[in-house]
Amino acid sequence: MKKVVMYTLSTCPWCMRAKKFFREKDIPFEYIDYDKADEGTRRSIREDCLAHGEEMSFPFVKIGEDVVVGYNPQKYSSLLDQ
Amino acid sequence: MAPWFFAIAENELDEGEKKPLLIEGDKLLLLRQGGDFYAISNKCPHMDCPLSKGTLNGYVIQCPCHDWQFDIRSGEFLNAEEIKVPAYETKVADGKIYVNMER
Amino acid sequence: MDTKKRMGQLRTMFQRVIDPLGYKFSPDEELVDFLLEQEVTLEKEKGSPFCPCQGLTGEREHDMQLVCPCIPFHREHFDAMKRCWCGLYVHKDVDDPDELVQISKKEFEASRKRS
Repeated sequence: MKKVVMYTLSTCPWCMRAKKFFREKDIPFEYIDYDKADEGTRRSIREDCLAHGEEMSFPFVKIGEDVVVGYNPQKYSSLLDQ
Repeated sequence: MAPWFFAIAENELDEGEKKPLLIEGDKLLLLRQGGDFYAISNKCPHMDCPLSKGTLNGYVIQCPCHDWQFDIRSGEFLNAEEIKVPAYETKVADGKIYVNMER
Repeated sequence: MDTKKRMGQLRTMFQRVIDPLGYKFSPDEELVDFLLEQEVTLEKEKGSPFCPCQGLTGEREHDMQLVCPCIPFHREHFDAMKRCWCGLYVHKDVDDPDELVQISKKEFEASRKRS
């Protein structure tokens, strides 16, 4: 199964929906709330977002090697099925 | 007849300076730039912050709260011209500055 | 200040800003309430009602462009989605906000290059 990791904000409803999506499908995932993280973690999240050509818009969802920025259940599903 | 109101004497405002005023109950900001006088509302259209506490750079005033920038000649917000801080006409007569409160 | 009261004040002030830009508050009232409440908390903690769905860096120039309504600083990107990133605002002609999809900055720029 592809590894799912996401960067989220504790204040963002779309991040909550993204977590709910994977939870309801019983797909294990890891997440870090950017706004609750320590300085070093925040810096590495920022660098990771920029390295993917994105701004720090959340949720930032990594499914295997792919990245989806934003709440997009169709994209999540198709990447999980691939 | 246009409702012109006396603001201040011409010699009370130096070039490149700004001064908050209350005219007819409205909070205004009078500015002098390039030898001319400009009058705009002193309230930023974003969150009502006092522009008098901001910084004037050429014809651009920057709000102290969130750095929104406006052209003092037209009142236009530089990032979206549809948003304006109200701008009023001014005139100088006998060393006194008057503001036209009708927009 | 009371959170509900401040939410009402933000709503009144922001309505004036978004209207001339062609946007309105999302018809999803529950979402609007949630987002405004987050903004009031962010304002209390960080000094400004920042977007609840975009990350702050602590650099003033960057962060000031994320103060709500941040539409003027992301206009073309948001216009392409017909909504702002967090969904607090949608284009005036949008009746069903759930039909709108978030397009990332990178996707938006790629689509702009293609057209």
